Amino acid sequence: MATILGGIGTSHVPTIAMAYDRNKAGDPDWAPLFRGYAPVAHWVAEKKPDVLVVFYNDHATTFFFDHYSTFALGASAAYPIADEGLGPRPVPPLKGHVALARHMAESLVNDEFDLSVFQELPIDHGCHSPLTMFWPPAPDWPGCIVPIAINVLQHPLPTPLRCYKLGRAVRRAVLSYPEDLKVVVVGTGGLSHQMNGARAGYNNTEWDMKFLDLIARDPAPLTRMTHADYIRLGGTEGAEEIMWLAMRGSLSEGATKLHQSYYLPMTAAMAVALFEEPEAALQSEAESRRTSDTA
Amino acid sequence: MNPQLKGVESIEGTYLFDLERSAKGLRLNRFLHGLTEPDKRALFREDPSTAFDRGGLTQEERRMVRELDWAALIRYGASFFCLEKLGRVKGVSNPEMVAAFRGETLEQFLKTRNVPGAR
Repeated sequence: MATILGGIGTSHVPTIAMAYDRNKAGDPDWAPLFRGYAPVAHWVAEKKPDVLVVFYNDHATTFFFDHYSTFALGASAAYPIADEGLGPRPVPPLKGHVALARHMAESLVNDEFDLSVFQELPIDHGCHSPLTMFWPPAPDWPGCIVPIAINVLQHPLPTPLRCYKLGRAVRRAVLSYPEDLKVVVVGTGGLSHQMNGARAGYNNTEWDMKFLDLIARDPAPLTRMTHADYIRLGGTEGAEEIMWLAMRGSLSEGATKLHQSYYLPMTAAMAVALFEEPEAALQSEAESRRTSDTA
Repeated sequence: MNPQLKGVESIEGTYLFDLERSAKGLRLNRFLHGLTEPDKRALFREDPSTAFDRGGLTQEERRMVRELDWAALIRYGASFFCLEKLGRVKGVSNPEMVAAFRGETLEQFLKTRNVPGAR
């Protein structure tokens, strides 16, 4: 049976990809970002998930407003890296887990989440800008993804509660998959930032910290907030945080936050938080017992 | 009225990208979105008038794009994420665009940031 080992909430600012692609780990302006992701990369390398289910948003790159899906699930074996105006990033195409994706689409639609399905479309920085920080393609991606795009660009957006419920339905879908697969769920976006109008450049670290606390400990109040609340507290693009709610919904209540990092160098607050399921913690204990027995 | 957006109109300096704005900006955003395609990018670089003609842009839309009038473009109905494509093609960074939205120079904007070199 497929299991969910944990979840990762992460910003998807394009400069995270730029810092990785230009190898800025030694640059004092970027070193804190790399340090923040290192424990997540370590955990992922240790857990070796077969699949990452990634809640992300496209930035009017692949999807355009002539037909903008609220929820769209990718169900193909490969996804090109999108050209966002400068040509694609120098990373390999993302690999998709077709069988799990098809199972999830069937499970979700029968669970009354009538989402769109896409195939072989390019995927933009909303998904892969943070991925390289904790799941680097060296040289190829370590596993497969199932991408789920959420509309956070064109209002009406899905409600925060709906995103959380989508996460619950994704959990049911993954856990009902018959083959043994180790899955980690990723939700990207945020934290506070605004990219339009005279309020552009708005940030709110106090709110970001509260969000990082609540998403782990007590997400229910976050599901009761409106988009207007998110925009007031975290800027128009801070509303991307609803994608973290989808990730949190796919975890059990007992998932624990192992690590978080927050860095606000420029326009958008860059955060990453790592959550572990009790099952994964048990697995780690068993692993360390085996290691100590051998020693 | 979308109940999720109740009270959002009282937040100053904010353009909400809703269906009305999306409809108004559709032609312009389609043009900007086209810059993700190398052929359209090349045409825009080499012969912007022909590119504008093919996109059916109005005189006002052409002016804003030609002059990179970021504040006017976003006010008019451009999606920031479509403007990002134009920014990349013209070598304009996001902090420069944000500074323009705020009515500031890049230098003024960077003074308000924690790590001005991180761009």
